Amino acid sequence: MDSLLEQLDRFSEVLAVSRTTHVSTWDPATVRRALQWAGYLRHIHRRFGRHARIRKALEQRLQNQWKQEGDSGPAPAPDLANFQALGHCDQLLSLRLLANPALGDASFHCLLQQLFPGPGVPDAEEEALQGSLARFASCRAAAHMLRFHAYSENPVLQKDSVMKTQAELLLRRLHEVGEAEAEGPGRLLSRLWERLPQDNFLKVVAAALLLPQASPRLQEEELGVGSPKTPGDGRQELLRWLLGKSDIVVAFCRNLPAELLTSVVGRHPELSPVYLGLLTNWGRQLHYDLPKGLWIGTEPQDVPWEELFSRFQSLCQAPPPLKDEVLTALKSYKAQDGDFEVPGLSIWTDLLLALGSRV
Amino acid sequence: MAEDSAGLPSNYQFWMQKLSVWTQASTLETQRDICLHLPQFQEFLRRMYETLKEMDSNAIIERFPTICQLLAKSCWSPFILAYDESPKILIWCLCCLIKKDPQNSRESKLNSWTRRLLSHIVSTSRFDIKEVGLFNQVLGYAPTDYYPGLLKNMVLSLVSELRENHLNGFSSQRRMSPERVRSLSRICVPLLTLPDFEPLVEALLTYHGHEPQEVLCPEFFDAVNEAFLLKKISLPTSAILCLWLRHLPSLENTMLHLLEKLISSERNSLRRIKCFMKDSLLPEAAACHPAIFRVVDEIFRSALLETDGAPEVLAGLQVFTRCFVEALEKENKQLKFALKTYFPYASPALVMVLLQHPKDIPQGLWHQSLKHISEMLKEIVEDHGSYGGPFESWFLFVHFGGWADITAEQLLMSEAEAEPPEALLWLLAFSCSPGAGHQQRARTMVEVKTVLGCLTKLFRSPALSARDLQAAAGENLGGDPRPPACQQLVRRLLLHFLLWAPGGHTIAREVITLMAQTDAIMNEIIGFLDYTLYRWDHLCVEAHRSRKLARELLTELREQALPGQVNQ
Repeated sequence: MDSLLEQLDRFSEVLAVSRTTHVSTWDPATVRRALQWAGYLRHIHRRFGRHARIRKALEQRLQNQWKQEGDSGPAPAPDLANFQALGHCDQLLSLRLLANPALGDASFHCLLQQLFPGPGVPDAEEEALQGSLARFASCRAAAHMLRFHAYSENPVLQKDSVMKTQAELLLRRLHEVGEAEAEGPGRLLSRLWERLPQDNFLKVVAAALLLPQASPRLQEEELGVGSPKTPGDGRQELLRWLLGKSDIVVAFCRNLPAELLTSVVGRHPELSPVYLGLLTNWGRQLHYDLPKGLWIGTEPQDVPWEELFSRFQSLCQAPPPLKDEVLTALKSYKAQDGDFEVPGLSIWTDLLLALGSRV
Repeated sequence: MAEDSAGLPSNYQFWMQKLSVWTQASTLETQRDICLHLPQFQEFLRRMYETLKEMDSNAIIERFPTICQLLAKSCWSPFILAYDESPKILIWCLCCLIKKDPQNSRESKLNSWTRRLLSHIVSTSRFDIKEVGLFNQVLGYAPTDYYPGLLKNMVLSLVSELRENHLNGFSSQRRMSPERVRSLSRICVPLLTLPDFEPLVEALLTYHGHEPQEVLCPEFFDAVNEAFLLKKISLPTSAILCLWLRHLPSLENTMLHLLEKLISSERNSLRRIKCFMKDSLLPEAAACHPAIFRVVDEIFRSALLETDGAPEVLAGLQVFTRCFVEALEKENKQLKFALKTYFPYASPALVMVLLQHPKDIPQGLWHQSLKHISEMLKEIVEDHGSYGGPFESWFLFVHFGGWADITAEQLLMSEAEAEPPEALLWLLAFSCSPGAGHQQRARTMVEVKTVLGCLTKLFRSPALSARDLQAAAGENLGGDPRPPACQQLVRRLLLHFLLWAPGGHTIAREVITLMAQTDAIMNEIIGFLDYTLYRWDHLCVEAHRSRKLARELLTELREQALPGQVNQ
């Protein structure tokens, strides 16, 4: 068992090196050995997939990598992130080496011979790798073709294929990382927040929060044995993190479109106090300009009336209990302000008036 | 390989030109052109590879100076990269260009160029979706993790769009325009055989827009049918039904494919024919929709006419009909379409009787049914009724194979002294040569009657000899030689006799050796034995002894004819 774990560590190093210029020192024999090693680990994956104890040990070893922090902040994502990844570690190694210009010509030649032996190969293993690499090329070309020629971005964000896929991957990773250690997901999410374009990231978060419950894909990826899976886990982590970061949740509520937020809040009621609270604050920032007859803000970052209104409008079109919650809040604020019926005195009155017949 | 490499240069030029056109613009025309040519281009690549792999990379460049352009252009086309085995073969071709140790800068340059192209195909690619790359990098996902999932999601989303369109009709906002559906069907042509793609294919096939004309492009139908015939894709019967109903050439192609299999394979056993008949889904589809039955029937009819009643085609027709009837019964369709829709040119009464399964009729009453059939047919054929000529009647009759053989068996097993019923004799004579005139048929009936007379006498005889049988089957001396169809009929009677007569097994082998003067006759005998066993299976005929004999003979004769060939 220990030797197996050591093999895993060593191979992870090999995999990490395969991307660097260090491969220039690899001779054909090294390439061959590396591929054999990958093949061995893939065999391990197949053999022990249902063997709970061994699988768990390997899984834990791999997930430890997520905990590592380098000197300059969090380490990059590990190459072999979970047990599942062992299933195609040879593919991963092959792709890296193929793309690495530092690999010497003779070694590259050897690599090609190993990976693409040609038609009529008696060895099932080699055929499988050759086939899977070619199939992956087809798969990517196919996705491009569909996207380019047949795809139209779905205006309903959470149904958009690209968003959906990213959301699924995010949840999957959060779930795995959460298994390794409790703070894992939070750390990963913070890292994503720092590194990615914020707008895109927030959209993915929203899409993830809106993924259908108990996505069957998440369950079928696992081989069944091992830790109990509650597919909602990734989502819980996400929510927890979001609620814990006040600046991020503000950006979330501010930058995402009204309908999207309504759906998210409708699905996850824990967010509604936060959202409503923010809307309330934003509303309170506005004051009535008598000459213009409008509610306006003083600071440039104040949320304009139109946006505020459209958000409340969207919320009022949501199914109960959300709709009722919002209306109750609006009415209570209106009462607090003096329960005026005339416009121009309380923004809450005006909002309710504008929402009109929908209320 | 000599003629291959001779043909290769001209082909090469052709494909270079094609590729230039394809990579210049991406209009509907070019898309259509690419889709039409993908299989041939793949074949060309395969032949190129076979040539290239024997050569060293310098020789390749000398022989095909523009090879790099050819390969590069192929690699930049997502259609080609997505199709079937083309990426694999392209990779193999590129591998041929790599030199293990380049000697000069030119060779080095070629190496690095080839490596970049290989890397483009498999690793990094300009097809990548940029905004996703960084995200996955931080998450620790490689493109191999991401793309299959994305493709699946895209397929599912397209499927639900198509279904939505179908349900909501005019009111749906997400309605896919007909142009978009058409374009989608064209794009799918190279992608059919990818994993997880079947739901989209199915959704397209079953998509019914609100336009009167066909919205899917014909290349799509052709490609789906090809893929289905080659078993590269598996679709439910309902989808295939839609395919064939919407695109007649697909159905025709499937039939041609089937006929080729029937005729070309060496001595197909009926069990095997039944297997690929069922695989083809033709009987099931025909049971679901009479239009399909009619087309299949027509094609069988033409095939029989053209091949002069080839036994393989006949066997195919009979197996098809049997499977078709079974499918009807299984679906409990209870002929939801009137019989007339399936057999518009036949007498409904006749069809009803023929459709009956002999095993549903008590054995004692078989000769009644046979008489009935015979009388009806006779009336149509000889009295020139309104149901078409003798060929049409015969064609209808042979759909339901077993009746002719049951007739023979019944005649053989009747009492030695009793007169064989004229009706049954007529039926036998008609079944073996429908085109014969009245006189000819009468002569045949007389011949058969004589032979039967001898055979029924010998039937119960405990000690038989081959000579006896030969005498029984002997020709009338001094008369004209028997026409071949009649001779064949006599042979069949002899074979029936051998299988049923209590003493038959002792002389069977000797008699068969005497009979099988030519290879053709030997094949006929083997076909007869195979068919008889198949028929008995369907009739649930017990007859252990006869079966045993038939099986043994079949095995021995097959061994003799083609030694070493394993019994289906």
